[in-house]
Amino acid sequence: MPQTKKRMKGFYSGIIVIALLLQTGCAFKDIDKRIFVLGVGIDPSEKVEDGLRVTLKLAKPAGDVKQEAAQSFSYLSHDSDSVAQAFYDMETHVDKKLDLGHNRSIILNKELLSTDLDEPMDFFTRRGGTQLIGYVAVAEKTAEETVTFAPDTEPPATIALYNFFDDTGTESPYVVTTFLFEFRRQALSNGKNTVLPIIDFNEEQGHFIVNKSIVLKWGEEPVELTSSQTKHFNSLMNKASGFNYNIQEDDLHLVLSIDEVKMKYKIITDEGQTPRIDMQITKTGVVSESNKRLKSSHLQKYGEIAATDIEKKVMELLTMLQENDVDPFGFGLRYRATRLSRKDIMEDWKRIYPEIEFNVQVKVNLKGTGIVE
Amino acid sequence: MPETKVPPLFNELSTQLEPTEDLIQTPLHIKGQHAFLLYVKSVVEGDKLQQTVIRPFFEMASEESFASYIQSLPNQTKIPDKKELLINISSGFVLIAIRENHFLLDISLVSNNEVQDTMVEPTVHGPQKGISEDIDTTLNLIRQRYRKPSLKIETIMADDNTNRTIALLYDDERIDPDMLKQVKDRLDELDAPLIQAAGDLQHFINKRKFTLFPSTLITERPDRIVYNLNNGKVVIAIDGSPDVIIAPVIFFDFMSSMEDNYHVFSVTAFTIFLRYTGLFICLLLPSLYVAMTSYNPDILRLELALTVAGGRIGVPYPSFIEVFGMLFFMELLTEASMRLPKAVSGTATTVGGLILGTAATEAALTSTIMVIIISAVAISTFVIPINEMSFAIRVIRLFLIVYTALFGMVGLLVGFIGLVMLLANKESLGVPYLRIPWVNKNEELRMDKR
Repeated sequence: MPQTKKRMKGFYSGIIVIALLLQTGCAFKDIDKRIFVLGVGIDPSEKVEDGLRVTLKLAKPAGDVKQEAAQSFSYLSHDSDSVAQAFYDMETHVDKKLDLGHNRSIILNKELLSTDLDEPMDFFTRRGGTQLIGYVAVAEKTAEETVTFAPDTEPPATIALYNFFDDTGTESPYVVTTFLFEFRRQALSNGKNTVLPIIDFNEEQGHFIVNKSIVLKWGEEPVELTSSQTKHFNSLMNKASGFNYNIQEDDLHLVLSIDEVKMKYKIITDEGQTPRIDMQITKTGVVSESNKRLKSSHLQKYGEIAATDIEKKVMELLTMLQENDVDPFGFGLRYRATRLSRKDIMEDWKRIYPEIEFNVQVKVNLKGTGIVE
Repeated sequence: MPETKVPPLFNELSTQLEPTEDLIQTPLHIKGQHAFLLYVKSVVEGDKLQQTVIRPFFEMASEESFASYIQSLPNQTKIPDKKELLINISSGFVLIAIRENHFLLDISLVSNNEVQDTMVEPTVHGPQKGISEDIDTTLNLIRQRYRKPSLKIETIMADDNTNRTIALLYDDERIDPDMLKQVKDRLDELDAPLIQAAGDLQHFINKRKFTLFPSTLITERPDRIVYNLNNGKVVIAIDGSPDVIIAPVIFFDFMSSMEDNYHVFSVTAFTIFLRYTGLFICLLLPSLYVAMTSYNPDILRLELALTVAGGRIGVPYPSFIEVFGMLFFMELLTEASMRLPKAVSGTATTVGGLILGTAATEAALTSTIMVIIISAVAISTFVIPINEMSFAIRVIRLFLIVYTALFGMVGLLVGFIGLVMLLANKESLGVPYLRIPWVNKNEELRMDKR
């Protein structure tokens, strides 16, 4: 009899083990029970005083990707005191788990920029899933409109907004990219102002327009850069390729295509001299359009014409930034990093920056006229 | 002239062997010369017996000269004790008595001595014939390829119920004596009721009851045997089995094919890369699917995440049950095509693989991506050159899925690290299992005593 008893024991424990194996861990949630948030828009609320209106862009998975014409989204909006509150409220509005793990675009309303941004952004910097992959951008219209806008060129299982900013799709010097962690870092440290891209869209033609940017001044009115300024800034700061440059000299009209940009600068604060920044810019490229026949022997001349022109534009940009007392290039950061650390180093810089002189030298190397002779 | 009587030993033996139909006990006599034969007819080669024993008897002048003739035969062996004598007679020896002298001749009939084709480890280049089920033929094949006086062969009678011959082969100059002693001890300690094949024997040599990974290697390729003999390993052959055991082994032995030596470097490097990729795919892919769809979909690219999510629309069970189910069917299919006769196995694979796979996705029982994963896993399982390892991997990946279902990506990592720890802790006859053979091939071949 004990033999049978032992076997029964083994049998029961076997069943229990198998039953246990069919259990899952606590975080187990199948992918079809999650819904991916692909964009978050934050506007000031009209219903709640001092509140925020949060809009989520949610991806609806399609059974057969090939047969769908476009990615289908659904949108959730909610007004609340804070982003986190709105988010947790919205969890009760969907049957699936809101998954921020793929959320890369956080779009802010322009009005929010001049207020304290710490509070709305705090939720994202604390949230594990999105903190290292999120891009921050500013909406030209409202954030809600921008988030809910679906361009015509959006096939299923992709999202247009991501392709703009991660260099897998379009690569344009007009598009600045600011990650959430950069935003956070620059917001908290001294000496550099954050630049955010501005997203606009054309509803009639169904496409986004991302060619401007805005420089944040924490708690104050931000400084908007025109698209040309954005281009210059981005090519110098981020070495953005595909830089096109239009030159009008007498009756010569040239469009240059620059594919390599090098920029270095030095802050010189010698005794007895006005502090100045020596900036050296080298651009390499080819001619991509012209209204005249060009000679390759004259390439250097065209380069020089371009250089003087670019120099002027860069000077304009730098002075404009200086006048508005913003520093997206991070000159202040460089100053802090290269001077002996002392208590009031930033106060010094704040005194120096408005009267600093810029000394820009541009060199344009043209590799060819672009024509096979 | 005294009447010649049947020798007492014969009577004693035959009473022990009886009743057997095929036991033959014949007296030979001519002109006062007498001899007695005792053998079991079904295991003795009749022709040879006739040629080498019976005919000479009638042609010899005297009993003395016949006795000395018998004594000079190459297949004549010493008479062991009675117990072993009985075993010998039942395995094809002929006992001859001339007066008071007894002789034992090995005239056994072996019908399974053809050399087998390599079925389990086929290669494009290299030897196409394996070894034989008959141990003498096997030893012959190995000796033919490894002509060195230092190749030692020791035979041991297995202490099981069938009394098979087990042969121990090693190169005396290259072997580690401690290791050899260990192998011999293990073989002496062998306590198994029935040993039928190399796989069997390996299991008993291994001693442990629960093992995940094989600690000895089974092969049917003579070139692999010779390669390993040359590297100072022990080869254990057992009569009646078309494979031999090689010991000690390390993990990487299981991942090498003999063909690696027969190709140019680039081809070998590429195939080795393929093999290790295959190993990781078939080990990790099912668990990765579970981890990525159910715990950390953030790891996937967005496009893939949406496609996976779309594919899972309508799938009723959670991902890991889906994986278990599909793997189960895949394993059934593998098992079935292995057991089925060759003519039918093609049909089984088609019906099972194609029709079932398509139908399962059509019926929304699994996602399309699952089917792709399962087929990738099934294919890459077969990339592992030694079958024992690929069987082991098939089992281990189930454990990894359990870990992953419980703890997600972290569980998969922990499970995998556990696996590596297990491998690092294991040893095969004193050699660490995960030892990395840093020496290059030529050095390894030239290596003398370590």
